Amino acid sequence: MSSTIAPQRRSGAAQRWRRRVPGLIMATPAVAVFLAMFVIPMILAGVLSFTDWTGYSLNFDFVGWDNYARAFRNPRSISAAVFTGVIALVGTLFCNLVGLAIAALISGPGRSNTILRTIFFYPYVISSLIIGFIWSAMLAPTGAVNGMLASFGLPAMPFLTDPTFAKASVIFTIVWSHFGFNMILFLAGIKSVPAEYYEAATVDGASRWQQFRSITVPLIAPVFTVNIVLTLVGLLKAYDVVLSLTDGGPAGSTQTIVYQILKDSFANSALGFGAAQSIVLLIVTAVIGLGVTLVRRRAEQKAVD
Amino acid sequence: MIRQTRNRPSALVGGIRWLVLGVVAITMLIPMYTMVINAFKPQKDIIESPLLITPQSFTLDFLWAAITSSKFNVIAAYGITLLFVVVVNIFCILLSAPVAYVIARGRSKWHLGLLLLFVSGLFIPGQVTLIPVVFVLRMLGLINTIPGFILFETAATLPVTIFLFSAYLRSVPRDIDEAAALDGAGPVRAFWSCIFPIMKPVVATIVVLNSIGVWNDFVSPQIILGPSSGIYTVTTGVYAAVGQFSTDYTQVFPTLLLAVLPAMVFFIVMQRHIIGGLVAGATKG
Repeated sequence: MSSTIAPQRRSGAAQRWRRRVPGLIMATPAVAVFLAMFVIPMILAGVLSFTDWTGYSLNFDFVGWDNYARAFRNPRSISAAVFTGVIALVGTLFCNLVGLAIAALISGPGRSNTILRTIFFYPYVISSLIIGFIWSAMLAPTGAVNGMLASFGLPAMPFLTDPTFAKASVIFTIVWSHFGFNMILFLAGIKSVPAEYYEAATVDGASRWQQFRSITVPLIAPVFTVNIVLTLVGLLKAYDVVLSLTDGGPAGSTQTIVYQILKDSFANSALGFGAAQSIVLLIVTAVIGLGVTLVRRRAEQKAVD
Repeated sequence: MIRQTRNRPSALVGGIRWLVLGVVAITMLIPMYTMVINAFKPQKDIIESPLLITPQSFTLDFLWAAITSSKFNVIAAYGITLLFVVVVNIFCILLSAPVAYVIARGRSKWHLGLLLLFVSGLFIPGQVTLIPVVFVLRMLGLINTIPGFILFETAATLPVTIFLFSAYLRSVPRDIDEAAALDGAGPVRAFWSCIFPIMKPVVATIVVLNSIGVWNDFVSPQIILGPSSGIYTVTTGVYAAVGQFSTDYTQVFPTLLLAVLPAMVFFIVMQRHIIGGLVAGATKG
Protein backbone atom coordinates (compact mmCIF):
# COMPACT_ATOMS: atom_id res chain seq x y z
CA MET A 1 0.00 0.00 0.00
CA SER A 2 2.33 2.75 1.21
CA SER A 3 5.44 3.20 -0.89
CA THR A 4 8.77 2.59 0.77
CA ILE A 5 11.09 5.55 0.76
CA ALA A 6 14.39 3.71 0.51
CA PRO A 7 15.60 3.85 -3.07
CA GLN A 8 15.97 0.35 -4.38
CA ARG A 9 17.59 -0.80 -7.55
CA ARG A 10 15.06 -2.83 -9.39
CA SER A 11 14.53 -3.72 -12.97
CA GLY A 12 12.28 -1.35 -14.93
CA ALA A 13 9.49 -3.91 -15.13
CA ALA A 14 9.29 -4.36 -11.39
CA GLN A 15 9.33 -0.59 -10.96
CA ARG A 16 6.41 -0.23 -13.33
CA TRP A 17 4.54 -2.92 -11.47
CA ARG A 18 5.02 -1.20 -8.16
CA ARG A 19 3.60 1.98 -9.62
CA ARG A 20 0.56 0.11 -10.85
CA VAL A 21 -0.28 -1.61 -7.60
CA PRO A 22 -2.36 1.23 -6.08
CA GLY A 23 -4.41 1.60 -9.25
CA LEU A 24 -5.08 -2.12 -9.32
CA ILE A 25 -6.10 -2.10 -5.67
CA MET A 26 -8.56 0.70 -6.37
CA ALA A 27 -10.02 -0.74 -9.54
CA THR A 28 -10.23 -4.46 -8.76
CA PRO A 29 -13.27 -4.61 -6.42
CA ALA A 30 -15.57 -2.72 -8.77
CA VAL A 31 -14.36 -4.67 -11.79
CA ALA A 32 -14.82 -7.99 -9.97
CA VAL A 33 -18.39 -7.19 -8.93
CA PHE A 34 -19.23 -5.92 -12.40
CA LEU A 35 -17.75 -8.99 -14.08
CA ALA A 36 -19.61 -11.36 -11.76
CA MET A 37 -22.98 -9.64 -11.98
CA PHE A 38 -22.96 -8.20 -15.50
CA VAL A 39 -20.31 -9.42 -17.92
CA ILE A 40 -20.30 -13.13 -17.04
CA PRO A 41 -24.13 -13.28 -17.00
CA MET A 42 -24.14 -11.59 -20.42
CA ILE A 43 -21.77 -14.23 -21.82
CA LEU A 44 -23.82 -16.93 -20.10
CA ALA A 45 -27.00 -15.59 -21.73
CA GLY A 46 -25.24 -15.73 -25.08
CA VAL A 47 -24.22 -19.37 -24.55
CA LEU A 48 -27.62 -20.40 -23.16
CA SER A 49 -29.41 -18.91 -26.14
CA PHE A 50 -27.94 -21.69 -28.30
CA THR A 51 -29.17 -24.49 -26.03
CA ASP A 52 -32.50 -26.10 -25.25
CA TRP A 53 -31.92 -25.93 -21.50
CA THR A 54 -35.13 -25.86 -19.45
CA GLY A 55 -33.43 -24.33 -16.44
CA TYR A 56 -33.56 -27.26 -14.04
CA SER A 57 -32.78 -30.53 -15.84
CA LEU A 58 -29.13 -31.53 -15.92
CA ASN A 59 -28.86 -32.41 -19.58
CA PHE A 60 -29.19 -30.00 -22.45
CA ASP A 61 -28.14 -29.89 -26.08
CA PHE A 62 -26.79 -27.20 -28.30
CA VAL A 63 -29.47 -26.43 -30.84
CA GLY A 64 -27.74 -23.81 -32.96
CA TRP A 65 -29.93 -20.95 -34.08
CA ASP A 66 -33.22 -22.74 -33.32
CA ASN A 67 -34.18 -20.43 -30.46
CA TYR A 68 -33.58 -17.36 -32.59
CA ALA A 69 -35.54 -18.81 -35.50
CA ARG A 70 -38.34 -19.55 -33.06
CA ALA A 71 -38.24 -16.03 -31.66
CA PHE A 72 -38.79 -14.61 -35.14
CA ARG A 73 -41.54 -17.10 -36.01
CA ASN A 74 -43.44 -17.53 -32.76
CA PRO A 75 -46.66 -15.46 -32.93
CA ARG A 76 -46.45 -14.64 -29.19
CA SER A 77 -42.92 -13.28 -29.55
CA ILE A 78 -43.82 -11.33 -32.68
CA SER A 79 -46.87 -9.70 -31.12
CA ALA A 80 -44.86 -8.84 -27.99
CA ALA A 81 -42.10 -7.36 -30.14
CA VAL A 82 -44.59 -5.33 -32.18
CA PHE A 83 -46.35 -3.98 -29.08
CA THR A 84 -43.01 -3.15 -27.45
CA GLY A 85 -42.03 -1.28 -30.61
CA VAL A 86 -45.32 0.62 -30.54
CA ILE A 87 -44.79 1.51 -26.87
CA ALA A 88 -41.27 2.71 -27.58
CA LEU A 89 -42.14 4.79 -30.65
CA VAL A 90 -45.53 6.21 -29.65
CA GLY A 91 -44.49 6.60 -26.02
CA THR A 92 -41.26 8.40 -26.93
CA LEU A 93 -43.12 10.67 -29.34
CA PHE A 94 -45.78 11.69 -26.81
CA CYS A 95 -43.47 11.90 -23.79
CA ASN A 96 -41.26 14.34 -25.67
CA LEU A 97 -44.03 16.32 -27.38
CA VAL A 98 -45.96 16.81 -24.14
CA GLY A 99 -42.73 17.31 -22.18
CA LEU A 100 -41.49 19.99 -24.57
CA ALA A 101 -44.86 21.77 -24.83
CA ILE A 102 -45.32 21.90 -21.06
CA ALA A 103 -41.70 22.96 -20.51
CA ALA A 104 -42.17 25.84 -22.98
CA LEU A 105 -45.37 26.89 -21.19
CA ILE A 106 -43.88 26.89 -17.68
CA SER A 107 -40.29 27.96 -18.35
CA GLY A 108 -40.84 31.43 -16.92
CA PRO A 109 -40.04 32.35 -13.33
CA GLY A 110 -42.79 32.50 -10.75
CA ARG A 111 -44.39 30.46 -8.04
CA SER A 112 -47.20 29.00 -10.10
CA ASN A 113 -44.71 27.55 -12.58
CA THR A 114 -42.71 25.93 -9.77
CA ILE A 115 -45.85 24.33 -8.36
CA LEU A 116 -46.91 23.09 -11.80
CA ARG A 117 -43.44 21.64 -12.39
CA THR A 118 -43.81 19.63 -9.18
CA ILE A 119 -47.27 18.39 -10.19
CA PHE A 120 -46.05 17.20 -13.60
CA PHE A 121 -42.89 15.58 -12.32
CA TYR A 122 -43.87 13.76 -9.12
CA PRO A 123 -44.66 10.33 -10.69
CA TYR A 124 -40.92 10.00 -11.37
CA VAL A 125 -40.32 8.97 -7.75
CA ILE A 126 -43.09 6.36 -7.64
CA SER A 127 -42.29 2.87 -8.85
CA SER A 128 -43.81 1.87 -12.20
CA LEU A 129 -45.38 -1.17 -10.57
CA ILE A 130 -47.37 1.00 -8.16
CA ILE A 131 -48.32 3.45 -10.90
CA GLY A 132 -49.73 0.51 -12.84
CA PHE A 133 -51.77 -0.59 -9.82
CA ILE A 134 -53.08 2.94 -9.27
CA TRP A 135 -54.23 3.28 -12.88
CA SER A 136 -55.58 -0.24 -12.86
CA ALA A 137 -57.86 0.80 -9.98
CA MET A 138 -58.78 3.97 -11.92
CA LEU A 139 -59.52 2.25 -15.23
CA ALA A 140 -61.08 -1.02 -14.04
CA PRO A 141 -64.68 -1.78 -15.16
CA THR A 142 -65.90 -0.59 -11.74
CA GLY A 143 -63.08 1.90 -11.33
CA ALA A 144 -63.09 5.63 -10.70
CA VAL A 145 -63.02 6.73 -14.35
CA ASN A 146 -66.03 4.61 -15.30
CA GLY A 147 -67.74 5.82 -12.12
CA MET A 148 -67.15 9.37 -13.32
CA LEU A 149 -68.50 8.54 -16.79
CA ALA A 150 -71.59 6.98 -15.21
CA SER A 151 -72.28 10.11 -13.19
CA PHE A 152 -72.41 12.04 -16.49
CA GLY A 153 -74.78 9.40 -17.84
CA LEU A 154 -72.14 7.95 -20.18
CA PRO A 155 -71.61 4.21 -20.82
CA ALA A 156 -68.66 2.42 -19.23
CA MET A 157 -65.53 2.00 -21.35
CA PRO A 158 -63.55 -1.29 -21.60
CA PHE A 159 -60.25 0.44 -20.72
CA LEU A 160 -58.52 -2.77 -19.63
CA THR A 161 -60.78 -5.46 -21.05
CA ASP A 162 -60.64 -4.68 -24.78
CA PRO A 163 -57.26 -5.31 -26.50
CA THR A 164 -57.12 -1.99 -28.36
CA PHE A 165 -58.26 0.00 -25.34
CA ALA A 166 -55.83 -1.89 -23.10
CA LYS A 167 -52.89 -1.08 -25.38
CA ALA A 168 -53.88 2.58 -25.38
CA SER A 169 -54.23 2.48 -21.58
CA VAL A 170 -50.72 1.06 -21.19
CA ILE A 171 -49.22 3.77 -23.41
CA PHE A 172 -51.27 6.49 -21.71
CA THR A 173 -50.09 5.35 -18.26
CA ILE A 174 -46.46 5.27 -19.41
CA VAL A 175 -46.69 8.77 -20.92
CA TRP A 176 -48.54 10.04 -17.82
CA SER A 177 -45.73 8.87 -15.56
CA HIS A 178 -42.76 9.65 -17.79
CA PHE A 179 -43.26 12.97 -19.58
CA GLY A 180 -42.36 14.92 -16.42
CA PHE A 181 -38.83 13.53 -16.65
CA ASN A 182 -38.50 14.73 -20.26
CA MET A 183 -40.02 18.06 -19.25
CA ILE A 184 -37.37 18.56 -16.55
CA LEU A 185 -34.56 18.06 -19.08
CA PHE A 186 -36.23 20.37 -21.61
CA LEU A 187 -36.68 23.00 -18.88
CA ALA A 188 -32.99 22.81 -18.01
CA GLY A 189 -32.16 23.26 -21.70
CA ILE A 190 -34.54 26.18 -22.19
CA LYS A 191 -33.16 27.94 -19.11
CA SER A 192 -29.60 27.62 -20.40
CA VAL A 193 -30.36 29.67 -23.53
CA PRO A 194 -28.80 33.14 -23.04
CA ALA A 195 -31.42 35.87 -22.57
CA GLU A 196 -29.61 38.20 -25.00
CA TYR A 197 -30.72 36.03 -27.93
CA TYR A 198 -34.36 36.58 -27.06
CA GLU A 199 -33.78 40.27 -26.47
CA ALA A 200 -32.18 40.65 -29.89
CA ALA A 201 -35.02 38.74 -31.49
CA THR A 202 -37.57 40.89 -29.69
CA VAL A 203 -35.89 44.00 -31.06
CA ASP A 204 -36.17 42.46 -34.52
CA GLY A 205 -39.87 42.03 -33.89
CA ALA A 206 -39.96 38.23 -33.80
CA SER A 207 -43.07 36.74 -32.21
CA ARG A 208 -42.93 34.38 -29.26
CA TRP A 209 -43.58 31.41 -31.52
CA GLN A 210 -40.87 32.48 -33.99
CA GLN A 211 -38.42 32.86 -31.12
CA PHE A 212 -39.24 29.39 -29.88
CA ARG A 213 -38.92 27.87 -33.37
CA SER A 214 -35.70 29.55 -34.43
CA ILE A 215 -33.83 30.14 -31.15
CA THR A 216 -34.96 27.69 -28.48
CA VAL A 217 -35.42 24.51 -30.52
CA PRO A 218 -32.07 24.63 -32.39
CA LEU A 219 -30.14 25.60 -29.26
CA ILE A 220 -31.53 22.75 -27.18
CA ALA A 221 -30.86 20.12 -29.86
CA PRO A 222 -28.61 18.10 -27.52
CA VAL A 223 -31.48 17.84 -25.01
CA PHE A 224 -33.64 16.27 -27.73
CA THR A 225 -30.97 13.63 -28.27
CA VAL A 226 -30.67 12.74 -24.60
CA ASN A 227 -34.44 12.70 -24.17
CA ILE A 228 -35.11 10.54 -27.23
CA VAL A 229 -32.35 8.02 -26.48
CA LEU A 230 -33.19 7.67 -22.79
CA THR A 231 -36.92 7.33 -23.44
CA LEU A 232 -36.55 4.83 -26.31
CA VAL A 233 -34.08 2.65 -24.42
CA GLY A 234 -36.17 2.90 -21.25
CA LEU A 235 -39.48 2.01 -22.91
CA LEU A 236 -38.04 -1.02 -24.72
CA LYS A 237 -37.68 -2.49 -21.22
CA ALA A 238 -41.31 -1.80 -20.28
CA TYR A 239 -42.48 -4.48 -17.89
CA ASP A 240 -43.47 -3.44 -14.36
CA VAL A 241 -46.28 -1.15 -15.45
CA VAL A 242 -47.72 -3.76 -17.81
CA LEU A 243 -47.60 -6.41 -15.11
CA SER A 244 -49.62 -4.35 -12.64
CA LEU A 245 -51.93 -2.57 -15.11
CA THR A 246 -53.05 -5.41 -17.41
CA ASP A 247 -50.83 -8.41 -16.57
CA GLY A 248 -50.24 -8.72 -20.31
CA GLY A 249 -53.95 -9.16 -21.02
CA PRO A 250 -56.59 -9.21 -22.31
CA ALA A 251 -55.66 -12.40 -24.19
CA GLY A 252 -51.95 -11.55 -24.17
CA SER A 253 -52.47 -8.39 -26.23
CA THR A 254 -50.34 -6.17 -23.99
CA GLN A 255 -47.40 -8.51 -23.38
CA THR A 256 -44.03 -6.89 -23.95
CA ILE A 257 -40.65 -8.42 -24.79
CA VAL A 258 -39.43 -8.39 -21.20
CA TYR A 259 -42.76 -9.87 -20.08
CA GLN A 260 -42.15 -12.75 -22.52
CA ILE A 261 -38.53 -13.20 -21.51
CA LEU A 262 -39.34 -13.52 -17.83
CA LYS A 263 -42.32 -15.76 -18.49
CA ASP A 264 -40.36 -18.11 -20.78
CA SER A 265 -37.35 -18.20 -18.48
CA PHE A 266 -39.24 -18.98 -15.28
CA ALA A 267 -42.88 -19.97 -15.70
CA ASN A 268 -42.48 -21.77 -19.04
CA SER A 269 -39.07 -23.35 -18.23
CA ALA A 270 -37.70 -22.45 -21.65
CA LEU A 271 -34.49 -20.85 -20.52
CA GLY A 272 -32.65 -21.10 -23.81
CA PHE A 273 -35.55 -19.47 -25.62
CA GLY A 274 -35.76 -16.72 -23.00
CA ALA A 275 -32.04 -16.10 -23.33
CA ALA A 276 -32.29 -15.84 -27.12
CA GLN A 277 -35.02 -13.20 -26.81
CA SER A 278 -32.84 -11.38 -24.26
CA ILE A 279 -29.95 -11.23 -26.69
CA VAL A 280 -32.22 -9.92 -29.46
CA LEU A 281 -33.53 -7.21 -27.14
CA LEU A 282 -29.99 -6.33 -26.10
CA ILE A 283 -28.82 -5.94 -29.70
CA VAL A 284 -31.89 -3.88 -30.67
CA THR A 285 -31.42 -1.63 -27.63
CA ALA A 286 -27.73 -1.06 -28.33
CA VAL A 287 -28.30 -0.41 -32.05
CA ILE A 288 -31.16 2.04 -31.38
CA GLY A 289 -29.26 3.82 -28.62
CA LEU A 290 -26.11 4.28 -30.69
CA GLY A 291 -27.99 4.85 -33.95
CA VAL A 292 -30.20 7.63 -32.62
CA THR A 293 -27.20 9.26 -30.97
CA LEU A 294 -25.26 9.32 -34.24
CA VAL A 295 -28.20 10.57 -36.34
CA ARG A 296 -28.96 13.31 -33.83
CA ARG A 297 -25.28 14.33 -33.65
CA ARG A 298 -25.52 15.11 -37.37
CA ALA A 299 -28.75 17.02 -36.87
CA GLU A 300 -27.23 18.97 -33.99
CA GLN A 301 -24.31 19.95 -36.20
CA LYS A 302 -26.77 21.15 -38.85
CA ALA A 303 -28.83 23.06 -36.29
CA VAL A 304 -25.77 24.92 -35.09
CA ASP A 305 -24.61 25.82 -38.62
CA MET B 1 -32.74 50.49 -23.36
CA ILE B 2 -34.60 47.86 -25.29
CA ARG B 3 -37.82 48.94 -26.90
CA GLN B 4 -40.69 46.76 -25.86
CA THR B 5 -42.01 45.75 -29.25
CA ARG B 6 -43.02 42.28 -28.15
CA ASN B 7 -46.55 41.65 -29.22
CA ARG B 8 -48.29 41.14 -25.91
CA PRO B 9 -49.91 37.75 -25.73
CA SER B 10 -53.60 38.30 -26.03
CA ALA B 11 -56.08 37.22 -23.40
CA LEU B 12 -57.03 34.35 -25.70
CA VAL B 13 -53.49 32.92 -25.76
CA GLY B 14 -53.23 33.27 -21.99
CA GLY B 15 -56.58 31.55 -21.61
CA ILE B 16 -55.57 28.62 -23.80
CA ARG B 17 -52.29 28.28 -21.89
CA TRP B 18 -54.11 28.00 -18.57
CA LEU B 19 -56.67 25.64 -20.03
CA VAL B 20 -53.94 23.25 -21.28
CA LEU B 21 -51.94 23.43 -18.05
CA GLY B 22 -55.11 23.04 -15.99
CA VAL B 23 -56.31 19.94 -17.83
CA VAL B 24 -52.90 18.25 -17.64
CA ALA B 25 -52.48 19.19 -13.96
CA ILE B 26 -55.88 17.72 -13.10
CA THR B 27 -55.00 14.53 -15.00
CA MET B 28 -51.81 14.28 -12.97
CA LEU B 29 -53.53 14.82 -9.64
CA ILE B 30 -56.74 12.79 -10.03
CA PRO B 31 -55.16 9.37 -9.35
CA MET B 32 -53.46 10.67 -6.20
CA TYR B 33 -56.63 12.39 -5.06
CA THR B 34 -58.69 9.25 -5.70
CA MET B 35 -56.20 7.08 -3.86
CA VAL B 36 -56.09 9.36 -0.82
CA ILE B 37 -59.84 9.93 -0.37
CA ASN B 38 -60.81 6.33 -1.06
CA ALA B 39 -58.35 4.95 1.47
CA PHE B 40 -60.84 6.08 4.13
CA LYS B 41 -64.10 4.83 2.60
CA PRO B 42 -66.04 1.57 2.59
CA GLN B 43 -66.34 -0.38 -0.69
CA LYS B 44 -69.90 0.73 -1.46
CA ASP B 45 -69.00 4.43 -1.35
CA ILE B 46 -65.87 3.87 -3.44
CA ILE B 47 -67.84 2.23 -6.22
CA GLU B 48 -70.77 4.65 -6.11
CA SER B 49 -68.91 7.93 -5.73
CA PRO B 50 -65.19 7.43 -6.36
CA LEU B 51 -64.44 11.14 -6.58
CA LEU B 52 -66.57 12.46 -3.74
CA ILE B 53 -65.34 13.12 -0.23
CA THR B 54 -67.87 11.47 2.06
CA PRO B 55 -67.29 12.62 5.65
CA GLN B 56 -70.25 10.60 6.97
CA SER B 57 -68.55 7.30 6.08
CA PHE B 58 -64.99 8.37 6.94
CA THR B 59 -63.12 5.57 8.68
CA LEU B 60 -59.54 4.72 9.60
CA ASP B 61 -60.35 1.00 9.83
CA PHE B 62 -59.18 0.08 6.35
CA LEU B 63 -55.92 1.98 6.62
CA TRP B 64 -55.30 0.35 9.98
CA ALA B 65 -56.16 -3.04 8.49
CA ALA B 66 -53.61 -2.42 5.74
CA ILE B 67 -50.93 -1.40 8.26
CA THR B 68 -51.51 -4.49 10.38
CA SER B 69 -52.26 -6.84 7.46
CA SER B 70 -50.92 -10.36 7.86
CA LYS B 71 -50.57 -10.57 4.07
CA PHE B 72 -48.18 -7.64 3.80
CA ASN B 73 -46.25 -6.28 6.75
CA VAL B 74 -45.74 -2.79 5.41
CA ILE B 75 -43.63 -1.53 8.31
CA ALA B 76 -41.17 -4.40 7.91
CA ALA B 77 -41.10 -3.74 4.16
CA TYR B 78 -40.26 -0.07 4.77
CA GLY B 79 -37.41 -1.11 7.06
CA ILE B 80 -35.98 -3.77 4.75
CA THR B 81 -36.21 -1.59 1.65
CA LEU B 82 -34.57 1.30 3.48
CA LEU B 83 -31.80 -1.04 4.64
CA PHE B 84 -31.24 -2.07 1.02
CA VAL B 85 -31.14 1.56 -0.08
CA VAL B 86 -28.55 2.45 2.57
CA VAL B 87 -26.31 -0.60 2.09
CA VAL B 88 -26.38 -0.44 -1.72
CA ASN B 89 -25.49 3.26 -1.59
CA ILE B 90 -22.52 2.58 0.72
CA PHE B 91 -21.18 -0.30 -1.38
CA CYS B 92 -21.77 1.56 -4.60
CA ILE B 93 -19.74 4.57 -3.42
CA LEU B 94 -16.96 2.45 -1.88
CA LEU B 95 -16.56 0.54 -5.15
CA SER B 96 -17.17 3.32 -7.66
CA ALA B 97 -15.22 6.24 -6.26
CA PRO B 98 -11.74 4.64 -6.39
CA VAL B 99 -12.18 3.13 -9.83
CA ALA B 100 -13.58 6.42 -11.16
CA TYR B 101 -10.49 8.14 -9.77
CA VAL B 102 -8.21 5.67 -11.54
CA ILE B 103 -10.15 6.23 -14.79
CA ALA B 104 -10.15 10.01 -14.45
CA ARG B 105 -6.41 10.21 -13.76
CA GLY B 106 -5.35 7.46 -16.15
CA ARG B 107 -3.90 8.23 -19.54
CA SER B 108 -3.54 4.81 -21.12
CA LYS B 109 -5.86 2.82 -23.36
CA TRP B 110 -6.47 0.52 -20.39
CA HIS B 111 -8.19 3.30 -18.52
CA LEU B 112 -10.36 4.17 -21.49
CA GLY B 113 -11.24 0.49 -21.85
CA LEU B 114 -12.18 0.38 -18.19
CA LEU B 115 -14.54 3.34 -18.65
CA LEU B 116 -16.10 1.77 -21.75
CA LEU B 117 -16.59 -1.51 -19.91
CA PHE B 118 -18.69 0.15 -17.24
CA VAL B 119 -20.49 2.56 -19.57
CA SER B 120 -21.58 -0.34 -21.79
CA GLY B 121 -23.73 -1.31 -18.82
CA LEU B 122 -25.84 1.81 -19.43
CA PHE B 123 -27.22 0.25 -22.60
CA ILE B 124 -27.81 -3.22 -21.24
CA PRO B 125 -31.34 -3.75 -19.96
CA GLY B 126 -30.97 -5.11 -16.43
CA GLN B 127 -33.73 -7.66 -16.97
CA VAL B 128 -31.73 -9.23 -19.79
CA THR B 129 -28.92 -10.27 -17.48
CA LEU B 130 -31.21 -11.16 -14.62
CA ILE B 131 -31.83 -14.73 -15.71
CA PRO B 132 -28.16 -15.76 -15.93
CA VAL B 133 -27.48 -13.73 -12.77
CA VAL B 134 -29.74 -16.19 -10.96
CA PHE B 135 -27.40 -19.02 -11.97
CA VAL B 136 -24.26 -17.11 -11.03
CA LEU B 137 -25.79 -16.39 -7.62
CA ARG B 138 -26.81 -20.01 -7.27
CA MET B 139 -23.20 -21.06 -7.89
CA LEU B 140 -22.06 -18.57 -5.26
CA GLY B 141 -24.73 -19.89 -2.89
CA LEU B 142 -26.28 -16.42 -2.65
CA ILE B 143 -29.60 -16.89 -4.45
CA ASN B 144 -32.66 -15.94 -2.34
CA THR B 145 -30.39 -14.16 0.15
CA ILE B 146 -30.00 -10.52 1.11
CA PRO B 147 -26.24 -10.44 0.29
CA GLY B 148 -26.97 -11.84 -3.17
CA PHE B 149 -29.58 -9.18 -3.84
CA ILE B 150 -27.31 -6.40 -2.56
CA LEU B 151 -24.48 -7.67 -4.75
CA PHE B 152 -26.66 -7.48 -7.87
CA GLU B 153 -28.24 -4.13 -6.99
CA THR B 154 -24.80 -2.66 -6.33
CA ALA B 155 -23.52 -3.91 -9.68
CA ALA B 156 -26.56 -2.37 -11.36
CA THR B 157 -25.70 1.06 -9.93
CA LEU B 158 -22.05 0.99 -11.06
CA PRO B 159 -22.36 2.19 -14.69
CA VAL B 160 -24.15 5.47 -13.97
CA THR B 161 -22.14 6.10 -10.82
CA ILE B 162 -18.71 5.51 -12.35
CA PHE B 163 -19.69 7.55 -15.39
CA LEU B 164 -20.73 10.56 -13.28
CA PHE B 165 -17.88 10.22 -10.77
CA SER B 166 -15.15 10.10 -13.41
CA ALA B 167 -16.71 13.03 -15.30
CA TYR B 168 -16.67 15.01 -12.05
CA LEU B 169 -13.14 13.97 -11.09
CA ARG B 170 -11.76 15.16 -14.42
CA SER B 171 -12.69 18.67 -13.34
CA VAL B 172 -10.73 18.31 -10.08
CA PRO B 173 -7.22 19.78 -10.52
CA ARG B 174 -4.29 17.36 -10.34
CA ASP B 175 -2.42 19.74 -8.02
CA ILE B 176 -4.32 18.21 -5.13
CA ASP B 177 -3.03 14.72 -5.94
CA GLU B 178 0.48 16.07 -6.28
CA ALA B 179 0.33 17.94 -2.99
CA ALA B 180 -0.85 14.77 -1.27
CA ALA B 181 1.94 12.78 -2.90
CA LEU B 182 4.51 15.29 -1.66
CA ASP B 183 3.18 14.83 1.85
CA GLY B 184 4.02 11.17 1.43
CA ALA B 185 0.53 9.75 1.07
CA GLY B 186 0.21 6.79 -1.28
CA PRO B 187 -2.38 7.08 -4.05
CA VAL B 188 -5.02 5.13 -2.15
CA ARG B 189 -4.73 7.25 0.96
CA ALA B 190 -4.41 10.44 -1.05
CA PHE B 191 -7.70 9.62 -2.74
CA TRP B 192 -9.72 8.88 0.37
CA SER B 193 -8.36 11.70 2.50
CA CYS B 194 -7.89 14.50 -0.05
CA ILE B 195 -9.98 13.86 -3.14
CA PHE B 196 -13.06 12.04 -1.86
CA PRO B 197 -14.13 14.88 0.47
CA ILE B 198 -14.28 17.23 -2.55
CA MET B 199 -16.74 14.89 -4.28
CA LYS B 200 -19.65 15.77 -1.99
CA PRO B 201 -21.90 17.31 -4.67
CA VAL B 202 -21.63 14.40 -7.09
CA VAL B 203 -21.94 11.85 -4.27
CA ALA B 204 -25.16 13.56 -3.18
CA THR B 205 -26.48 13.38 -6.74
CA ILE B 206 -25.72 9.68 -6.97
CA VAL B 207 -27.22 8.91 -3.57
CA VAL B 208 -30.48 10.56 -4.63
CA LEU B 209 -30.65 8.76 -8.00
CA ASN B 210 -29.64 5.36 -6.61
CA SER B 211 -32.02 5.64 -3.68
CA ILE B 212 -34.98 6.20 -5.99
CA GLY B 213 -33.79 3.34 -8.19
CA VAL B 214 -33.33 0.80 -5.40
CA TRP B 215 -36.49 1.81 -3.54
CA ASN B 216 -38.62 1.38 -6.67
CA ASP B 217 -36.96 -1.69 -8.14
CA PHE B 218 -39.35 -4.57 -8.51
CA VAL B 219 -38.04 -7.20 -10.92
CA SER B 220 -34.69 -7.87 -9.22
CA PRO B 221 -36.03 -8.36 -5.68
CA GLN B 222 -38.93 -10.39 -7.07
CA ILE B 223 -36.56 -12.76 -8.87
CA ILE B 224 -33.40 -12.73 -6.74
CA LEU B 225 -35.06 -12.75 -3.33
CA GLY B 226 -38.16 -14.53 -4.58
CA PRO B 227 -41.32 -15.28 -2.62
CA SER B 228 -39.61 -18.35 -1.15
CA SER B 229 -37.20 -16.19 0.85
CA GLY B 230 -40.03 -14.50 2.74
CA ILE B 231 -38.22 -11.17 2.35
CA TYR B 232 -40.51 -8.53 0.89
CA THR B 233 -39.55 -5.04 -0.24
CA VAL B 234 -42.25 -2.40 -0.63
CA THR B 235 -42.78 -3.24 -4.31
CA THR B 236 -42.73 -7.05 -4.05
CA GLY B 237 -44.93 -6.81 -0.95
CA VAL B 238 -47.52 -4.69 -2.75
CA TYR B 239 -47.43 -7.11 -5.67
CA ALA B 240 -48.08 -10.04 -3.35
CA ALA B 241 -50.82 -8.20 -1.45
CA VAL B 242 -52.73 -6.39 -4.18
CA GLY B 243 -52.39 -9.02 -6.90
CA GLN B 244 -54.07 -8.77 -10.22
CA PHE B 245 -57.46 -7.14 -10.68
CA SER B 246 -58.16 -7.06 -7.03
CA THR B 247 -61.55 -5.42 -6.80
CA ASP B 248 -61.63 -5.08 -3.03
CA TYR B 249 -60.79 -1.40 -3.13
CA THR B 250 -60.82 -1.15 0.65
CA GLN B 251 -57.59 -3.17 0.47
CA VAL B 252 -56.16 -1.73 -2.75
CA PHE B 253 -56.28 1.99 -1.98
CA PRO B 254 -54.92 1.94 1.59
CA THR B 255 -52.11 -0.44 0.55
CA LEU B 256 -51.13 1.72 -2.43
CA LEU B 257 -51.30 4.84 -0.28
CA LEU B 258 -48.91 3.29 2.24
CA ALA B 259 -46.57 2.25 -0.57
CA VAL B 260 -46.50 5.71 -2.14
CA LEU B 261 -46.25 7.74 1.06
CA PRO B 262 -42.49 7.47 1.78
CA ALA B 263 -41.59 8.19 -1.85
CA MET B 264 -43.80 11.30 -1.84
CA VAL B 265 -42.32 12.58 1.42
CA PHE B 266 -38.83 12.01 0.03
CA PHE B 267 -39.83 13.82 -3.17
CA ILE B 268 -41.24 16.85 -1.37
CA VAL B 269 -38.19 17.18 0.89
CA MET B 270 -35.57 16.48 -1.77
CA GLN B 271 -37.21 17.88 -4.88
CA ARG B 272 -34.46 20.35 -5.74
CA HIS B 273 -31.76 17.70 -5.34
CA ILE B 274 -33.67 15.16 -7.40
CA ILE B 275 -34.10 17.60 -10.28
CA GLY B 276 -30.51 18.82 -9.98
CA GLY B 277 -29.24 15.25 -9.96
CA LEU B 278 -31.30 14.28 -12.99
CA VAL B 279 -30.14 17.21 -15.03
CA ALA B 280 -26.51 16.63 -14.03
CA GLY B 281 -26.82 12.94 -14.87
CA ALA B 282 -28.38 13.52 -18.27
CA THR B 283 -26.30 16.45 -19.48
CA LYS B 284 -22.90 14.98 -18.63
CA GLY B 285 -23.34 12.58 -21.56
